[in-house]
Amino acid sequence: MLADWQFIGIFLALSPIFPAAPVIANWLLGPRKPNPLKQQTYECGVETVGDTWIQFKVQYYIYALVFVVFDVEAVFLFPIAAAYDQLGLFAAFEVVVFVLILAVGLGYAWSRGALEWT
Amino acid sequence: MNPQSLLPSVPEFLAILPEISLVILIVAVLAYDRILKPAERRRVGLLAAWGSIVILLITVGLWVLFREPEPNRSLVESLMWGGMIRNDLITLIFRVMFLVAVAIVSLISLDVPALQRGEYFALLLSATIGFSLMAAGSDMIMLFLAIETASISLYILTGFLTDDRRSTEAGIKYFVYGAFASAIMLYGLSLVYGITAQTNIYVIASLVAQSGAIPPEINGLFLLATVMIVAGFGFKISAVPFHFWTPDAYEGAPAPVTAFVSTASKAAGFAVTIRVFAAGALGAPNFDSEWWAMLVAITIVTMTLGNILAIFQSNIKRMLAYSSIAQAGYTLIGLVALTPDGSGAAMFYLLMYVFTNVAAFGVVVLVSRETGSDDMQDFYGLSRRAPYLALAMLFALLSLGGIPPTAGFIGKFFIFKAAVDAGLWWLALIGVLNAFIGLYYYLSVVKYMYLYRSDDEEERIPVSRAASVALALSVLGIIYLGIAAGPAFEWTRQAGAAFFPFSG
Repeated sequence: MLADWQFIGIFLALSPIFPAAPVIANWLLGPRKPNPLKQQTYECGVETVGDTWIQFKVQYYIYALVFVVFDVEAVFLFPIAAAYDQLGLFAAFEVVVFVLILAVGLGYAWSRGALEWT
Repeated sequence: MNPQSLLPSVPEFLAILPEISLVILIVAVLAYDRILKPAERRRVGLLAAWGSIVILLITVGLWVLFREPEPNRSLVESLMWGGMIRNDLITLIFRVMFLVAVAIVSLISLDVPALQRGEYFALLLSATIGFSLMAAGSDMIMLFLAIETASISLYILTGFLTDDRRSTEAGIKYFVYGAFASAIMLYGLSLVYGITAQTNIYVIASLVAQSGAIPPEINGLFLLATVMIVAGFGFKISAVPFHFWTPDAYEGAPAPVTAFVSTASKAAGFAVTIRVFAAGALGAPNFDSEWWAMLVAITIVTMTLGNILAIFQSNIKRMLAYSSIAQAGYTLIGLVALTPDGSGAAMFYLLMYVFTNVAAFGVVVLVSRETGSDDMQDFYGLSRRAPYLALAMLFALLSLGGIPPTAGFIGKFFIFKAAVDAGLWWLALIGVLNAFIGLYYYLSVVKYMYLYRSDDEEERIPVSRAASVALALSVLGIIYLGIAAGPAFEWTRQAGAAFFPFSG
């Protein structure tokens, strides 16, 4: 039992070397010629404007929550689809009930205007 | 696999009929909310209240007419849906409590303008589904899912008044504390699974009962898992030292929600706690188990601390919060007696507590809506401003304090008697002494209502018809259980035996 853990120990000991080695080598070997352009926060891309802590539209959250309906649906439908051959009519009925319950949630959110982007 | 075998039998359907009906009711409530014009929103609450009364009648009707759940079923026969839930008398009695609570709470919140929304009633009902499955669940996975279904609904309900700072603060506090407790409990449950490789609590219990099934080396680990599970359950029933959220959440939440959390949620927590511990899933149910000593300590501290802290409260909701902590302590005596009578008495106590506390909070809802605060001073001279409200509050307080003609006295009597019968006379003594402390602050409120005068005595407090029906029902419940406790207690006692499938 303990022998199995040896490999994990070796793995843990060796694995930091691989990401660390290029960074250290770069630091040791690379030439340093700083100029103002290179010192900018974003060397590539655009300089940020304003504060990072801004409010953004709360509807993003509502959209994300409504998306969860489909997400959950897919997660549960996939195993049922995979085992469809072995399941009877009753399972198909259960799936219909499940999808209907989720559809009610979606319909409710829709009628409350959660899908309208204003 | 034969597809035919996947078709559930009729008893299995009947076992979850209340939950199925609740899901249908939620869908109906949400759809009805969308159809109604804003001015007619009050009807959503009426639908929720009537719907839960109908489901209550279905649940009771199944028992009265068809003897479903059949009390003489063996343990294996009463386990349904692959052992996920157990449909027995315990489940039935707790379901009755939850449905009574949700019906009365819906009636009380009908005329609170901020709560006249479809989501509010849908969340109340989805929490009820959670409670109902908590009471029925006999598998750790089912229990955890049910606890989460109930808890998440309650977190949102606690913070439902989004433009009220205290309500949102209470919601966040409840959520953070609850998520933490759930995580710890889940860790405990996963340790139990790791030790036994089983999730069904009755299978685990029979494994634990076999000598040598759990090697002595990992007894410590098993005990650690027990402690973690006790932390999660203790949070649900707000037992000391897991009670810190209680006063804050009860104070900030909308008062009808507080009524619901303090009765139905607590009863559901007790359903799970008693079921798991009495079955012996975390060690044999006898006085030598480590968990028994732990629970006895929690019982004593919960009663005493709850009562002593309640004395110093000047806010009625905080006072009732600490009182509910103390009441959880009394109920725990029923569990630690470890007899069917004790568990039955605990169930009876919770049943009467639903009526009592809902009545008390119902009065608080009406009074604080008129005065705009929850201070104790609002109750000065209440008997002149609203004699019937004061009378309802009087019955609720007498019942909480345990004065004879009310259900509270009978409830305490059965609990203490069960403790004495089990040889725990010292625990009963501590309970009686605590009941005396409790009387002080309950009777103080009576004094404020009947003897003190206030400046605005001329202003009557309006009571809507729905609220008066709800209060009348609760007070009738308090009186009925107080003077004719026999049948109800016989019922809970019979159910109490189902908690202990492996002894006797």
